[in-house]
Amino acid sequence: MSHFSQADLHDELRAAPIEPLLPVEKKLIIWSLSIGLVLLAVLATVNHFFPVSV
Amino acid sequence: MSNASLAVPSPRTAEPAALLNEDWLAVILGLVIFVSALAALVHVDLIGWVVNTSVWNNFGSALGPVSKSYSPLGGAGALLATYAALTIMLSAGAAALNTDVKRFALAFTAVFWIAYASWIVGNFANFAAVTPAEQQKFGISWSLKLTNEGAYIFALIAGLIIANFLPRFAAAIKDAVRPELYIKVAIVILGGFFAVTAAGKLNLASSLLLRGVAAIVEAYLIYWAVVYFVARKWFGFSREWAAPLASGISICGVSAAIAVGGAIRSRPVVPVLVSSLVVVFAVTEVLILPFVAQAFLSHEPMVAGAWMGLAVKTDGAAVAAGGITESLILAKNAAAGIHYQPGWILGTAATIKVFIDIFIGIWAFVLGYIWTNHIDVTPDSNKAKAREIWQRFPKFIIGFVVTFIVGLYLALGTPADVARNVPAAIGEANTFRVIFFILTFFSIGVLSNFRALWQEGFGKLVAVYVVSIFGFVVWVGLLISWIFFHGVTPPLAS
Repeated sequence: MSHFSQADLHDELRAAPIEPLLPVEKKLIIWSLSIGLVLLAVLATVNHFFPVSV
Repeated sequence: MSNASLAVPSPRTAEPAALLNEDWLAVILGLVIFVSALAALVHVDLIGWVVNTSVWNNFGSALGPVSKSYSPLGGAGALLATYAALTIMLSAGAAALNTDVKRFALAFTAVFWIAYASWIVGNFANFAAVTPAEQQKFGISWSLKLTNEGAYIFALIAGLIIANFLPRFAAAIKDAVRPELYIKVAIVILGGFFAVTAAGKLNLASSLLLRGVAAIVEAYLIYWAVVYFVARKWFGFSREWAAPLASGISICGVSAAIAVGGAIRSRPVVPVLVSSLVVVFAVTEVLILPFVAQAFLSHEPMVAGAWMGLAVKTDGAAVAAGGITESLILAKNAAAGIHYQPGWILGTAATIKVFIDIFIGIWAFVLGYIWTNHIDVTPDSNKAKAREIWQRFPKFIIGFVVTFIVGLYLALGTPADVARNVPAAIGEANTFRVIFFILTFFSIGVLSNFRALWQEGFGKLVAVYVVSIFGFVVWVGLLISWIFFHGVTPPLAS
């Protein structure tokens, strides 16, 4: 069981200054999504030509 | 909430002095049960006394030992024997985890009896009977048709009532409220059960394993990126909050939030709070998605199973949702005269989840490397190291793989007179798996203090979760499940 201060965290979440997205974060998001979508397309194609064998 | 606390599983790193961590303990307990069950192959029935509950309308017929060789024990004897064995086994485990054994045993006593009582109630014929033939057998004119495994919901509701209306009692039994431990033991046992199921249809099983790769791609590369972006850009969360939040929502709830929180060196409280949020929402998903799947996907059982593995977060809730979905869909099809072999929908959900779990350590390392080298640059001694991949690897998966391989070998590689007895032997272990599922459901309920979370005032965290899960994760998970599993049905029961 974890105990922590409600007030501290509540205030932190409410009043936290905005941290703009850094270039490395943008890269991470874009690369991750791009690789994910490409791989998904490849896997879906493989799935189409080699369907589940029952 | 008066004391401003939320109950969540402790991070693994919080138990440095323990002999074992929860993962290794789950492997040991699961293997002890699995190996004990296999003794039946040499005609030594070591665990046939474990209690099994049937659908009932006469309480006297509800309980009984799983094996006929222990029938003199009767239902009450089997239940007491199961309670005693689990208390001894888990108390020994609690000692290895450096938990106060006496307090654990007392708390477990309450957890076991309340959870199992809920299970028995849920198996009452008016709740669980499914087909007209069953209703006729029990002499009833109506039933909720929840099936016997729908009784998990009763255990969950019992836990929710305790969490939300009896918080002092919930705090008193917290030492034995360990959903992660219980589900990990269940998953280790499930490996053997799934092997026996898969042995009859190896092609289907291997196809299923290959499709687990699609789940990894989706959870890590697509879900994570989108949820991180939503949390950072739309809701203005800091990086320290957004990374564990995205991991908890997109990958595997508690384990991923804690692993990534550690990897990016966030304060421990961040993944802990995210974990509590994950548990609460996983409960919501378990209460909704299996019934949605039954209503709309009963003709696509494997899509439904994969969907549970992809959409429901935390191991316990996802595998449990797979179990409920299987029972609901099999029941609906049985009522229409189609009898699918059990195990495939649950197996699909569990396999997808296990595949996702395997890569938690690697993903945490990737993020840790990026954070400590490019975002929050730290001294060399504090940079992410490759050995953290192993440290964060969920070890209970090793147990799942071992029982799967052994089960597959026994079913396919042994003489016919041995192989013939394997399903019954592993079936006894599977009865323990069901009990660990019940304990998981109840424990998840006890950890889900909706009121506490609401009163904490973390509306923004909740908003990210709702937007991500119900606006994106659930639907993309359904789409991916459909792409890879539509048209695939489990084998028919012989």
